Amino acid sequence: MNKFNLTQFVVMLTLFIGLILLPHYLRYQHQDFMIFLIINVLVVVSYRLMTLTGEWSLIHIVMMGVGAYTSALMSKHMGVSVWLTIPLAGLSAAVLAGLLSTPLFRMTQFYFLIGSFAVGEAIRLAWIFFIKPFGGSSGISSVPSPELLGIDFMDPIPYYYLVLIVVSLCLWVLYRIEKSRIGLTLNAVHWKAPLAQSVGVNTWKYRTLAFMVASLFVGIAGALKIHYLGNVTPHQFGVGSMVFVLIWVIVGGYNTFYGPIIGAVVLSVLDESLRNLNEYRPAIYGVLLIISIMFMPKGLEHISQGLKDWIKTAKSSS
Amino acid sequence: MALLEINNVSKHFGGLAALDEVSFSALEGEIHGLIGPNGAGKSTMFKNISGFYSPTTGTIRFNGQDIQGLSPSSIAKLGIVRTFQETTLFQELTVFENVLVGCHLEAEVNLLDALFGLNKKVQQKANVHALKVLDFMGLTERKDQLAIELPLGSQRALAIAIALAAKPKLILMDEPFAGMNPEETRQMMDLTRKVNETGVTIVLVEHDMKAVMGLCENITVLNFGTLLAQGKPDEIRQNDKVINAYLGGGH
Amino acid sequence: MLYGHATFHTSPYSLSGLNEATQHEELAVDLFLQSIVNSLIQGGFFALWAVGMVLVFGIMGVVNFAHGELVMVGAYAIWVLKAQMGMGYIPAVFIAVILVMLIGIFMERFLFRPKREDPLGGLINSIGILFILQVVALLVGGTGPAKQVTPAFPGTLILDEFMRIPHQRLFSLGVSIAALLILWFFLTRTKLGWSMRAVALDREAAALQGININRTSLIAMAISAGLAGLAGALMAPISNIYPHMGHNVIITAFIVTIVGGLGSLSGAVLAAFLYAILHTFVTAYFSGTIASMVGLLLMVVVLIVKPTGIMGQRVSE
Repeated sequence: MNKFNLTQFVVMLTLFIGLILLPHYLRYQHQDFMIFLIINVLVVVSYRLMTLTGEWSLIHIVMMGVGAYTSALMSKHMGVSVWLTIPLAGLSAAVLAGLLSTPLFRMTQFYFLIGSFAVGEAIRLAWIFFIKPFGGSSGISSVPSPELLGIDFMDPIPYYYLVLIVVSLCLWVLYRIEKSRIGLTLNAVHWKAPLAQSVGVNTWKYRTLAFMVASLFVGIAGALKIHYLGNVTPHQFGVGSMVFVLIWVIVGGYNTFYGPIIGAVVLSVLDESLRNLNEYRPAIYGVLLIISIMFMPKGLEHISQGLKDWIKTAKSSS
Repeated sequence: MALLEINNVSKHFGGLAALDEVSFSALEGEIHGLIGPNGAGKSTMFKNISGFYSPTTGTIRFNGQDIQGLSPSSIAKLGIVRTFQETTLFQELTVFENVLVGCHLEAEVNLLDALFGLNKKVQQKANVHALKVLDFMGLTERKDQLAIELPLGSQRALAIAIALAAKPKLILMDEPFAGMNPEETRQMMDLTRKVNETGVTIVLVEHDMKAVMGLCENITVLNFGTLLAQGKPDEIRQNDKVINAYLGGGH
Repeated sequence: MLYGHATFHTSPYSLSGLNEATQHEELAVDLFLQSIVNSLIQGGFFALWAVGMVLVFGIMGVVNFAHGELVMVGAYAIWVLKAQMGMGYIPAVFIAVILVMLIGIFMERFLFRPKREDPLGGLINSIGILFILQVVALLVGGTGPAKQVTPAFPGTLILDEFMRIPHQRLFSLGVSIAALLILWFFLTRTKLGWSMRAVALDREAAALQGININRTSLIAMAISAGLAGLAGALMAPISNIYPHMGHNVIITAFIVTIVGGLGSLSGAVLAAFLYAILHTFVTAYFSGTIASMVGLLLMVVVLIVKPTGIMGQRVSE
């Protein structure tokens, strides 16, 4: 439906070429950083699909964990090839999301937020409690990494390309969904659920669909993460990590497809550059979060617009 | 023939009866007025018909089929679509997209179609249908504007366009004339008639008596959740109970 | 008393299996009695945590995720004042309560009031404050092991050979109950309390009747923060003090407020004691992880079956 846009195309192309060349110019620790950043981009973009329906869940990161645990258990204990367990990880998260949607979507808004948190936390406690097969608090270690045609994906550079390809494909799919009539219907469910219902939209079905698709992709992200790390623990998927996803999405802005990506990239780079502040970094996040809510409620994506308005009101009130 | 039959419908909230044993029917092809002072139960009745509430007792038949207790989306599938009090639109979407959402039933896409653009025909059908509805409602020129940017009259027309896009047999209109000036009211009355002439039955909740008397063939009057009167506009105008209810202030 | 009953029935059953070992039987009885006492003391804390959340949610419509951090600040204040500076416990408690109240007033005025029409905004702001307060705690106390404060009332009440209640815990329970009674008196017997309840019922109607919403919100937040500070100050001598101690507080407060019915204060207090009994017993007989899981699932069940909680009333349109 969109017209071909030359500038957009050039920007995308440059970005892509840059991303392909980048790892060769980075130090080891920054290669790691890039791998996790790209995975986190998939986490926030899939989360945004969920928020399109207007429901904010706190179970997204736990769904990432569901994918991670599925992939780890299958590849380590059942000997299934990692190439198969990564998509299966997404599938298992989607199926679980489908099962959970029946109780969860009997709640909306605040109740859904808290309900999704409670269910997620209960799942996480199950990983801690059932040492067999989940390994308890220490989780599962020595998770195998993928291998293909003699390329060892333990190395950051091949793994970087693997992640880049998988995430790009996933983003393309998520983008297509959002720009399709399904995306339009999800939006409609968000803005005016009663109006959407009154023209025949089954809001429950569309909320479930968004939840399942979001879980599918975050499950894949979870598998990508732990096959690089080599271990999976319940603490990787705690409410703290969920809060970071919320911050990225909100600071970046959740009204556009690229807003959450900007949020994740900008804040992660900032975080990395403040590395020597160690455990005091969360305060920076806290301040940023409050500033973004108070002064640019639509996120970084709207920062230029926000600045203009701010100057305008400052002028008119003086 | 009655398209919509309301039989002894009651709706209780806790101990309070918002509707008490109300019956009326709307004939196929007519514009039926549902009026009454504030708090008479008109909105509650609409919510019962459109599935947002289910009646405590009583039955609602549409086209000979019992529909009480069905979900709003299933009721929409059967052909009843409602518009909302004030202007309920998808304000962040364009006029065209608004109507496209209304085409949901007409051309629903599944996930694979959306991904690979497989079902171009369905997509095309929805687009064509949406454009036709926009043209019918006189909104073609505004199709790329955001809904929130429209003037009041066009917003109301858009609300009806969304409903029409769902190809309903019956539209429930909730106060489409509220807040309009005489000129806007006149245009809205023309549009309502035009929609009705395509064969769509309309049940109209409205406070603007001029519009109700001008449009409706039959009128049902509610007061305090009970049926007060039924009849042609002239009969209602001269009904003592109705005059009392309105002049008495309804309190 | 539903859950109390449930555990009462399972406990004799488990005893019958241990008939030959009488010593075990006595221990089991004592575990049971001690658990009852513990759950009462826990319940007092749970109620203090939850009542503040309910007040702020009911009157301001804000979900304050930083509520647990307010409790944490109260505990840190005691650590600084008593353990570091040698101040007496009672005056330290007063200062801790006032300090946390001031933080609460700041939050209402500058973070929640501007976002009154945007509940998500208020919630996000509270997450921002949560991070900041945790780092402030780190700056004050440094990293390293959890802090501890020696009890101000060292003795122990010995009811029987196996059942002992440290005086410090008795003091906590007494003060918690006293604070809840004062709050109840304030809300039901004073004009200000009435106007706060009016705002909680219908903010617009209350505003139309001339109730000052800003003032009411500020007082609600001050009370909520004060109760959180008090809870922290009472916990300081009997638990570990560390920057993330608010995590457990907020989860418990959510469970209690949801089960009790958001907006219902008496429901929250009732739910606090019921949940404390449930939690203490499941922890004693199974494990703490299972206890938390049971609590979370209980909350989900309540959300699904009766979102208004055990004491809440359905608000019709």
